[in-house]
Amino acid sequence: MFFYQLKNELWKLFGKKRTYMGFLMLLLAQLLIVGLLRYYPPAHHSIARTVERSGFIGERYLSMLTIATIMAVVLAYTMLPLYVALIGGDLVSKEAEDGTLRMILSRPVSRVRLLCLKWLAGFVFAIVLVLALASGGMFFCGLFFPVDGGLFAQVPGQDLGIFNFADGLGRFFLAHIFLIVKAGTIMSLAFMFSCFNMKPAAAAILALSLILLDRILMEIPYFQDLKECFLSYHLNIWQVFFQPHIPWWQVGESTGILFGFNLTFLIIGLAVFQVRDIKS
Amino acid sequence: MISLRHVQKNFGARLAVDQLDLEVQHGEIFGLLGHNGAGKSTAIGMMLGQVWPTGGDIRICGFDVTVQRQHALKKVGAIFEAPVFYDYLSGWRNLEILSHYTAPTPAKRIREVIDWVGLTGREKSKVRTYSHGMRARLALAQALLPQPELLILDEPSDGLDPEGIHEMRQTILRLHQEFGLTILLSSHLLNEVEQLCTRIAVLNRGKKVFDGTLAEATQKQNWVRLRVGNFDSAIEQLRAAELISGARDQKLISLNDGVGTDQIVSFLVGRGMAVFEIAPQDETLEDFYLELMKPRAH
Repeated sequence: MFFYQLKNELWKLFGKKRTYMGFLMLLLAQLLIVGLLRYYPPAHHSIARTVERSGFIGERYLSMLTIATIMAVVLAYTMLPLYVALIGGDLVSKEAEDGTLRMILSRPVSRVRLLCLKWLAGFVFAIVLVLALASGGMFFCGLFFPVDGGLFAQVPGQDLGIFNFADGLGRFFLAHIFLIVKAGTIMSLAFMFSCFNMKPAAAAILALSLILLDRILMEIPYFQDLKECFLSYHLNIWQVFFQPHIPWWQVGESTGILFGFNLTFLIIGLAVFQVRDIKS
Repeated sequence: MISLRHVQKNFGARLAVDQLDLEVQHGEIFGLLGHNGAGKSTAIGMMLGQVWPTGGDIRICGFDVTVQRQHALKKVGAIFEAPVFYDYLSGWRNLEILSHYTAPTPAKRIREVIDWVGLTGREKSKVRTYSHGMRARLALAQALLPQPELLILDEPSDGLDPEGIHEMRQTILRLHQEFGLTILLSSHLLNEVEQLCTRIAVLNRGKKVFDGTLAEATQKQNWVRLRVGNFDSAIEQLRAAELISGARDQKLISLNDGVGTDQIVSFLVGRGMAVFEIAPQDETLEDFYLELMKPRAH
């Protein structure tokens, strides 16, 4: 029964065109970035010089994995949060706005069950979007750059990560698995707001504003000692997989904290939705 | 099937439903009447567990809907005004999605219901291509899928053309006759209520102002049409003789209990007044409803 209901939630989510807007724009952005990096010489010369300054052969690391990682870092801060927030913000409030929620709630389904189904569907969307980001990145970068080169990762605030192809591929996929956690958490935040009596766009904007504010506060030098208290610090845990040594304790801690945040967002959403009057 | 006791709903400082008592018995078609904002939809929302009551007790099929919603709504179907669906999905998929919130529904049952409402051939088309009438049929189909015993219809004819309204009326009668469903019908269309319902309740500003059979409503006051030379003078004398209890519109009088029209005629003729016409006035539901809605001085 739960499986059928989840399948139906996924039908609702993936049956509408606006769901695919995120995928389409993500793929277009990837194509644009990879095209510029390939055909604008100063860009890839700059990457090669940075690699060479670190004592490695630039050409060897100007590869599919390196470029796909650059793209992933850029898109994980910009388009990914936007699209997961839009979908998360839609999940409840769009149905309330359209009136379909009233149709559902004339059925003997509990509000808790309904929200859990919707949250799961949102999480599935986050997984699929990150998978599209990873596979699209690999595909486009593979078209324009050598496939078997190593991975050179220069993430701000982290040690340089330089890996051969096999290690690099593993790091790339591990990072994307944890990028799902980031996408899922932002989706959960927007989902929580969508359980309030507000427009879908308002829920998405509110979630994105909070993420942005959190990020800005974390970046202010005076608050450096507090950075572990900010959500953004834990959301970016996926990036540590591009460091030479993976700080597993930090990964475990941040994953646990993000799990807690997700649970909190879900519980607040449930509590708010439970006491709400659903009217036309 | 439906039992409301002292139900109250406040939205902030606004009182939407005030101490509402309602009983809908098994097998009847019960009409819920009232102006816009009278509290009909709020009352229906509370019956379906969509709106939380501020106070009172709501039982559907014997279960308290605020604590045992799943049990209470197991055998309930509902249709709302201007039915909305997932327009980008087919009618079939919509039915599948909505019915699965009650229980897994076999394709055979969905096919049966689609046939019954007359949507065969269009079930695989996207709902956005449906006319308003087809949406109404789809709404009916989704309400019938769980094989309900109670059907709650909130303005089901809203937005339909005259043919659509007629069709919906016939369908409601068929549902009642073929399946013996108990039906709660909230409507603005007094004509529709008059033709369908056996009992009605009228809400005015959240308060129930009438609850009874249609016959009781239309015969509540025994109005008689009277045409005489001087209506005001005749009324004055009839009142003095305690033969009537009221008069209105310069043509209608309400007789006191036990008084017949023959007594009125002989009384007036005996006082030298010419009586041109005297006949019982058929009170329609509309007359009754409008009379109920008139603001009264306290």
